[in-house]
Amino acid sequence: MKAIQSLYLASFMAVAMLTSCLSFAANNASLDQEIEALKADVIELNQSLYELEEKLLFPATTSFAVFVSMEAVKNFEISGVKLNLDEEPVTAHIYSREQIDALRRGGIQKLYTANLKPGLHKLTAVIDGKDEDGRPVQKTVVADFGKARSTKYLEIKISQNKKKQRPEFAIVEWK
Amino acid sequence: MRWTLIFALMFASVSAHAEDLLPDERREIKRDALYGEALFHLHSGRYDLALAKNYALRKRNQSRYGRVLDLHEATAELGLGMSRKAEQTFNALMSKQKYSFVREETSAQAWFYMAKHFYQKGLWKSALRAMRKVSSAHIASNLKDEYHFYLATLELFAGNPKRADEHVLAIHPESEWATYAFLNVAVSYTERDIHISKVEAAFNKALSLVGNTRQPEHLADRINLMAGKFFYGTGRGRSAIRHLRNVNLESPYTPSALLTYGWALTEQWQYHDALQPWYMLKTAHSPLNQDVQETFIAIPHLLEKLNAKVLALGAFEFATEQYDLIHQQLENSAQRLNLGQFIEPILQQQTPGKWGSFEPVNLTLPQHPDRIYLKDVMNQGYFQGQLQTLRDLHVIGKQLRDALKEIDTFKQTVVTRKADLNDIKTSNALSEGREKLKQYQQRYRHLLRKIDRAFGAPDGSGLASEEEKQQLALFKDVKSKISKLGKSASPSYQKRLRRVEGVLKWSLAERYAERKKQVSSNLAVLENAIRTAKRQIALSHQAYKDAPNAYVGFDRKLKDLEQQHKDQLTKLNRVYEKQLAKVGGIVKKDIQKRQARVTNYALQARLAAARLYDETSNQHRVVEQGAMK
Repeated sequence: MKAIQSLYLASFMAVAMLTSCLSFAANNASLDQEIEALKADVIELNQSLYELEEKLLFPATTSFAVFVSMEAVKNFEISGVKLNLDEEPVTAHIYSREQIDALRRGGIQKLYTANLKPGLHKLTAVIDGKDEDGRPVQKTVVADFGKARSTKYLEIKISQNKKKQRPEFAIVEWK
Repeated sequence: MRWTLIFALMFASVSAHAEDLLPDERREIKRDALYGEALFHLHSGRYDLALAKNYALRKRNQSRYGRVLDLHEATAELGLGMSRKAEQTFNALMSKQKYSFVREETSAQAWFYMAKHFYQKGLWKSALRAMRKVSSAHIASNLKDEYHFYLATLELFAGNPKRADEHVLAIHPESEWATYAFLNVAVSYTERDIHISKVEAAFNKALSLVGNTRQPEHLADRINLMAGKFFYGTGRGRSAIRHLRNVNLESPYTPSALLTYGWALTEQWQYHDALQPWYMLKTAHSPLNQDVQETFIAIPHLLEKLNAKVLALGAFEFATEQYDLIHQQLENSAQRLNLGQFIEPILQQQTPGKWGSFEPVNLTLPQHPDRIYLKDVMNQGYFQGQLQTLRDLHVIGKQLRDALKEIDTFKQTVVTRKADLNDIKTSNALSEGREKLKQYQQRYRHLLRKIDRAFGAPDGSGLASEEEKQQLALFKDVKSKISKLGKSASPSYQKRLRRVEGVLKWSLAERYAERKKQVSSNLAVLENAIRTAKRQIALSHQAYKDAPNAYVGFDRKLKDLEQQHKDQLTKLNRVYEKQLAKVGGIVKKDIQKRQARVTNYALQARLAAARLYDETSNQHRVVEQGAMK
């Protein structure tokens, strides 16, 4: 009788341990899922806040933005860019290795966002970098542009001139 | 042993970034700012921003990018440590035979890196499935050896040693991956019933190839330690000694190697030699190190074997004291854990905005009282993963709190704009400006009329004084009289008259020019004032038109966002507490385990000391009794 009792007790304990182990694993899994869902929600919320910020601080009538893009240029590696708007320095950026790679792989960087009143303006971009031998290279591109009562996007474009086999720098307007 | 194998592999693997999953080629994006930015953030390692842009792209509801967005999303999710979601997406992608948007080569690369990611996350099955998707004919030549290495390892995990062997043989013998592969083969042999000579051959092969790796000394130490432990565990002391003797004295594996080396020598009855590594271990490393703790009790044990019983007794007492101290230190750590002084200081030093699975936790711990212990715990991969998740939640929580502050600022902006509009309405800037402009224009017209009158004749006669006017009239009179005289008049009269007349007209013309200059500058000032007034009116008009739109509708949006942020923060706090308890639980359990081990050692030391004391006393008594007899 005692043997049967102890057998029951042992089996009961084994089942209890198994249940507790399973519930622990399930709790862990549900916490992980909860954390992942929370991360996704927070990221979406951040985007909503960002969009609202853009709308509130940079209304469509005055909004102005400058982007940077770079093709797979063989003999130039960008290291930094400085922007002057109407002869006033407005922003500067130094690129990390990952960011340079991101530009090469088709990414577009939003370099500068601001409010700009309608009229004629002048944008100067000073692009610093290195050539294939590691020598410092500095290029300056200038664009005179008009701003109406609508959004204005400009792009600092670094591309490869296939005929001359050298990089080209330009400021182009998005229409 | 399984975990040793995993660690061996983790060590061998080179970290990959999530963006490597994507085809390694430039994609044309045709001036889509949102997509371009998403791509930029994804490739530059800002996975949170990339995922946010991806969500925005999906919301825009354009099927222009198709499945690429799935791939981007899963990649960013991997980067942010959201492995489960990423795995689901990848599994859905795996069901498709081909991507329509990539070439065979890029597809092979994407599957390869994806498999590598799963591997590093410990998702072996998914890793093997993804790796089997890689087309070996299309994988880049520089990735081929690595590909065979991962496949060999994953096949070993899946219990397919034959397939694993095929892949090991496919690796170029001079590649660094061959070293890692032979190490893993050796470790897998230790788990299976393989003859010892084969195990040794595999370890030796791995050792002979370490020169091809990037950190040959480090890897050689690790292989020697693994081999030494294995041979010691299977009772082959000499082989163990041979391997352990080669471990560098300043490597992270030194304590473990010294301890095992001592035991292996003890098994070979080389007691004197065994003391040396243990003393070295005892003096050069922290007592919180578990290998050092074992040495405290091993040394007196050895001294006893050497019949140095008094020395052994002293060493046992020293060991007991040390164990009590260590126990107390661990107790203090446990108390700090309960008071929130253990994990929280690490979280406080994390960089804001930096989180995700590729962002390492800052573990510099300059002033942390538990730094030695923590560093020891942090070597456990599971703990690191959980701590990283906790760090992520901590950073996200800070982001949410910052966002709430930002919302407050935006609210203030809306209020300011509302006040601005009221000011515009109440100040009647427009009508005042128009009135001012009217006055200016009237003055301008009046001045023009006046000028017309004054400057009627360009010879300056309009500016002549009364006397000069009389003189001019007199000249006219004289001129007519001279002409009446006809030919009888002397030409000298006319010449003299012209001279006198010329002097006056010259003076009048000078005055005219001077005056005109003055009036022109006055006119310019007035014209400028008119222009400014006009611009002012236009700006006021624009402000009047724009101001209502600048804040309308934002009130409700801000209120909604604020509520959503507060809800998320509440949710986050709840999850954070759970995760903190989980991490705390790991540490607590570890502390308890360490305390139990130390207590056990202390008990053994006390018992051995008592036994030794008893033995030496009895010996004295027996000697004394014999002498008395």
